Amino acid sequence: MIQWSSFMQKAQSLIDPANFNIPSLSSSDDNPSKASLFRQQFRLPDSQNPLQEITAELILPLPSSSSGSGETSRRAEKAGNRYTGRLHVSERFICFSTQPTSFLPSSTLSASTSWTGQTHGTGPSGNGFTIPLSCIRRVERLHSETNIFTLALTTWNGLLNKKKEENSGNQRLILQLVGSRQASERFCDCLKKGLREGIKEVDGLRAVVTECYSEYLLSGAKQAAKEGNDPDARPPPDAGLGMLFRYPGDARKLRDRSKMRLWVEYFRENGRNVTLVRQPTFHKLIRVGLPNRLRGEIWELSSGSLFLRVRSPKLYQETLDKFEGQDSLAIDEIEKDLNRSLPEYPGYQSEEGIGRLRRVLTAYSWTNAEIGYCQAMNIVVAALLIYMSEQQAFFLLSVLCDRLLPGYYSTTMYGTLLDQKVFESLVEKTMPVLWEHLAKFDVQLSVVSLPWFLSLYINSMPLVFAFRVLDVFFLEGPKVLFQVGLAILRINGEELLEIQDDGSFISVLKSYFSRLDESAHPKSENPKLRAITRFQELMVVAFKEFSGITHSTITEQRDKHKGAVLENIENFAKRTSIRNLGPESKRLSVDDLGTIYDRFYETLYHWQQHQKVLEEERKRQEKKKSERFSILGPPADREMGRVGLGPSPTHMDYDAFREFLAATSKWAVSDTPASARKDSSNSHGSFKGNKSLLWANRRQPADHEFMQRLYRKWSTDPEEGLSLQNVVNGLARLKGSPDIMNNINYFFNLYDDGDNGQVDREGILKISEALLFLSRRGFEGTITATQSLEDLNSPHDRENSLTTDEKFLGSVSAFIRRCFEYADPSHPENQRAAQGDATTEVTEGLDSFTIGDDEEEDLIDIDGDTSATKPPKTNTQTDSSEQNRPRSESANPALDPNNPLHITLPTFRMVVLADELLEQFFESYFPQSFHLSDHPHPAALAASSSLSSNLTTFSNIGSARPSPITANSGASVAGASGGIVPPGKGLRGVLDNIVTDGIRMAAEVKKRMDDAQRDLERSALGRDEEDDEEDDEEYTHRGASAAVMAGGISSWGAGAYGGDTERRGVREADRDLLEGAEVEASSLLDGKPDAELETSKTSHTAAPTATLDHDPKVVSKIVEFES
Amino acid sequence: MSESAGANAPKPSSSVKLVLLGEAAVGKSSLVLRFVNNDFQENKEPTIGAAFLTQKCTLPSRTIKFEIWDTAGQERFASLAPMYYRNAQAALVVYDVTKPSSLTKAKHWVAELQRQASPGIVIALVGNKLDLTNDGGDASAVQDVESESAAPESDEAAGEEGEEQDAAPGDARKVSTREATGYAEEEGLLFFETSAKTGTNVVDVFTAIANAIPESSLKTGRGAAGAGQTALGSRSGEDSRVNLGDRNAATAKEGCAC
Repeated sequence: MIQWSSFMQKAQSLIDPANFNIPSLSSSDDNPSKASLFRQQFRLPDSQNPLQEITAELILPLPSSSSGSGETSRRAEKAGNRYTGRLHVSERFICFSTQPTSFLPSSTLSASTSWTGQTHGTGPSGNGFTIPLSCIRRVERLHSETNIFTLALTTWNGLLNKKKEENSGNQRLILQLVGSRQASERFCDCLKKGLREGIKEVDGLRAVVTECYSEYLLSGAKQAAKEGNDPDARPPPDAGLGMLFRYPGDARKLRDRSKMRLWVEYFRENGRNVTLVRQPTFHKLIRVGLPNRLRGEIWELSSGSLFLRVRSPKLYQETLDKFEGQDSLAIDEIEKDLNRSLPEYPGYQSEEGIGRLRRVLTAYSWTNAEIGYCQAMNIVVAALLIYMSEQQAFFLLSVLCDRLLPGYYSTTMYGTLLDQKVFESLVEKTMPVLWEHLAKFDVQLSVVSLPWFLSLYINSMPLVFAFRVLDVFFLEGPKVLFQVGLAILRINGEELLEIQDDGSFISVLKSYFSRLDESAHPKSENPKLRAITRFQELMVVAFKEFSGITHSTITEQRDKHKGAVLENIENFAKRTSIRNLGPESKRLSVDDLGTIYDRFYETLYHWQQHQKVLEEERKRQEKKKSERFSILGPPADREMGRVGLGPSPTHMDYDAFREFLAATSKWAVSDTPASARKDSSNSHGSFKGNKSLLWANRRQPADHEFMQRLYRKWSTDPEEGLSLQNVVNGLARLKGSPDIMNNINYFFNLYDDGDNGQVDREGILKISEALLFLSRRGFEGTITATQSLEDLNSPHDRENSLTTDEKFLGSVSAFIRRCFEYADPSHPENQRAAQGDATTEVTEGLDSFTIGDDEEEDLIDIDGDTSATKPPKTNTQTDSSEQNRPRSESANPALDPNNPLHITLPTFRMVVLADELLEQFFESYFPQSFHLSDHPHPAALAASSSLSSNLTTFSNIGSARPSPITANSGASVAGASGGIVPPGKGLRGVLDNIVTDGIRMAAEVKKRMDDAQRDLERSALGRDEEDDEEDDEEYTHRGASAAVMAGGISSWGAGAYGGDTERRGVREADRDLLEGAEVEASSLLDGKPDAELETSKTSHTAAPTATLDHDPKVVSKIVEFES
Repeated sequence: MSESAGANAPKPSSSVKLVLLGEAAVGKSSLVLRFVNNDFQENKEPTIGAAFLTQKCTLPSRTIKFEIWDTAGQERFASLAPMYYRNAQAALVVYDVTKPSSLTKAKHWVAELQRQASPGIVIALVGNKLDLTNDGGDASAVQDVESESAAPESDEAAGEEGEEQDAAPGDARKVSTREATGYAEEEGLLFFETSAKTGTNVVDVFTAIANAIPESSLKTGRGAAGAGQTALGSRSGEDSRVNLGDRNAATAKEGCAC
């Protein structure tokens, strides 16, 4: 008990999302983890986690002191810019922001599951810095009067270049930690550790940094190159296609030079690229628009894609090399659009531009196969490539898709649709009059605004202005798109109130966009006012008037609409995919298809969720050793699995298929006590480790050979798994036709391994096994045995006392016998004897099998034996096996493996149709045991309505029963658990056990044949074992198992059903056999004291005994589960 | 009612919302560009979301103003389509005669429209890029396919050839006229083969659609018709479709709300 409870704790901790940053199992809490907010806030790679944080004051030298900041630290302390904020350290970064931020799991806000963070991961809009630890050259602790920790960080700013810069002082950041001594020390320790690791990465950093345009600019290389007197002069770094094909817009009009000068000044004072410190000027400089050659670098820096590039500078080229020459759907789609991306820009009228675009889109489609390629990405990337190198664009695209535009380009585009909903709701909130007007005239806003968001205004506004929007967007995040969108509508509000249809709506905005460069106030007296362009006006409205639209507004709105949007998409997907399932599916009703669809994806969803938990667990263990390697893949804490969210798995593997079947058919639900308990909704019920965690709260599916066959039959490629189409086709073939012949054929084909129209001996046994497996939970009223008046051998009242289930067992027994009886010899040419001889042999063998008295008794005895093993210590056990050996030997020729035999479809059909119950089984139960919707296809309905459907059935699905197939600890153990039947079930309980035993025996025998350790075999099967020694071939075992099987069933089943078989005119030989069995049965029931019958009687009574014996155990188990 | 009041008034004009659907790069936008501007661009930017254009089409009895919604063709944009085909009175489902997969996709769209779009929507199936086939150069051969079922014999034969993929060099046809006609007849669609590049049959498509729009579903202006319909709560999906049905019924009864 103690162990169990400690285990429970472990299991719970495993799934408790609060303990780790793993996605929670419950869908209700889908708030992002602190770690992911932290990463978003500082735009860090996914490998980073918040380790330590502390309140601190950042002291920066005043701009004027820039010339000699090295020696002026003391002065700076007093006279510099001071910012109070929070200092964070992760594995590889040190970050500071004046925005209130707290991300540590231990911080006070962590307890609540509804925590979404103070900043919602806004992005680096505050003042501060995000610096890789590898970029810090030295950390000193400064002397201070009090106990306050004051650190001085010296960076590699400007020193990573080969070429020394003139007048560049060391960049020194003074940080005063505010906190307890302990907290400060902890922080410093963590920082120290990180710094030590960081040293290793300085070279990598150097490689990337030297390629930054800012370094080129500040190192004076540009100046030198111009003057042409520097032999080391290097070409400027790649700053996009603009360098070759000119940047869009008039550089003079854009005041590119003065902007550039301002940036150089800012870089000198505040560091450049990785060591840049954000001060208010930084934000202002971005708002006025970036200079052409620095645009790419600043985008990269503010979006954080630079850090990705620093982490894996070779990823882009490696990806291209790795997949060179390979084809994909994405590549086809990309090729279609290459010539249609910003075609008016000269760069894209040349092979150079097209080539760059092709490479970046292709490389990204390989690294993120889930997104692949989405139209609009071509336009966005084409725009990026004007200002940045292929590498830079590649990483920036990755940040765009993963973080800034989540779900926009996914295969369902749910992010796009969601943000349209968010935008609409913001319009409704901020401009109710306009909103009502649009609603009144049924103008759909999103038809206009969707392209704004999807292609970041790039093909809505003239390029120069779209880039200005992008400048701010990369720094401040997605809210910018909303602010600009709202501002556009606000500015055009009056005109828009006059429109009456989509057409005029669109044309108003079109003309507005075309005049963005005109004066906003052309008639104003004030020349300054006149100079303000419409675009400037737009920016002011967007960021002033709609400053209330923050990242958290967007986050809230997204959460609010997400459910509905996903549902819409999913309904659409369902509708479409059901409609496109092809002609086969028409045999099922639409409701049925809907049910299959839902169940299929539900199964996949759960399956994936569980696997993800396991995967996360595994990863977490690995992570303890090493950091996550892949940096580009989708973020670890991303949601997935829902159809609406994008590419979800489309194929079920066998295990998922089992789960699907368990939700469809009762027979596919496992019998293990853990899940059979009715209250297993208590998720603790089946925690037995990772594997059974998978089935928490759900029906645990069985695993049976029949299910494997079904899986293989349905799949087009078993490796790939089952698609929805496969499952629908499979079910359509089973349920879609009311024709019994179809069902019989189908079943036969399932077992026709050679695909040659033959099922061999083993197959016959497997079929019978499957029949028992499928029927072990009763027939749900779909099968009724008619009272057979011709049944002269058994008294009527006794006949009545047997239920359909019992009779069915008899039918299966008879089925095996008949199959062997009518079987054809296989491969006569392979026999040692001539064909005729072989046939006689087989016939003789069959005769001795079917007719011989010895055989019959033997069969009964085997049954007795096995049943006797249930109470493990039964005296008769060894006796009977000794006695029966000769007889079983004599029976074996009938099953001689040297005489392989098979049945063909017509034989199978005949045998099935010869038995009323089997006929009904195939006509109604089998197809109907797959439960779909309540509204089946009319055709299928017609078939089932003809059946009478109310007889003794059992609905004890909830009752505990043993796992028949997975009995893996020997016959006696399996037998023992096989006795678990709730008391009071009476005969039904006994029969359950018999059915179970039948299945178990067959399974057991087969298992043993593969078992190398023969010495473990005991009891009834021991005899077969010795037979084996004479002829150590597999077939012997199979044959023996046949005998066991047939015996196990016939002893109680054949007699009961004998009359019926006779009525259908089977061979005379049958009658002898049946009479024999009849005698057995009646004598058994009369209770004649015969040695052998004694044992078989025990078999009947043993089960209830076992039940009583083991019930206490079950109870105690239940107690354990509940504790 | 108002427009029919004066006998000497100019021809009644009504607007018709038309949506274009079909696989990516089959030439939807090019068809529209040809129809609206009588122009053709080799490298047309892919449509993001949808493009909106209008063009008038004059019939003997009336003038139809087409409000054309040209949608994006990439598979993943499919989930946006309901936004655009909502309330549409006509649809142009386009495939590429040189690409059999595009006909399959077109069939999916037809099925989608038949079940989800406004009842009574007029659907035309259009096989574009006829210029890439042998009969494409000879525009007159297919000029008169006004009544879609009576495809000329010669055309039929050409289709057969295309199917066998022998044909003369330069014939890239992969979808036979017979196959497409058969499908169109089955589903009750208008059918045309066109070339946006040469202009073959393009105007004919739109004229045929204009003729096929039932008089009852025509309205003078969307605004007028929608005036009474202020409670458009749900702005997407099926709900709106239901609303539309109501509105159409109302329009039919009251004629014009002006």
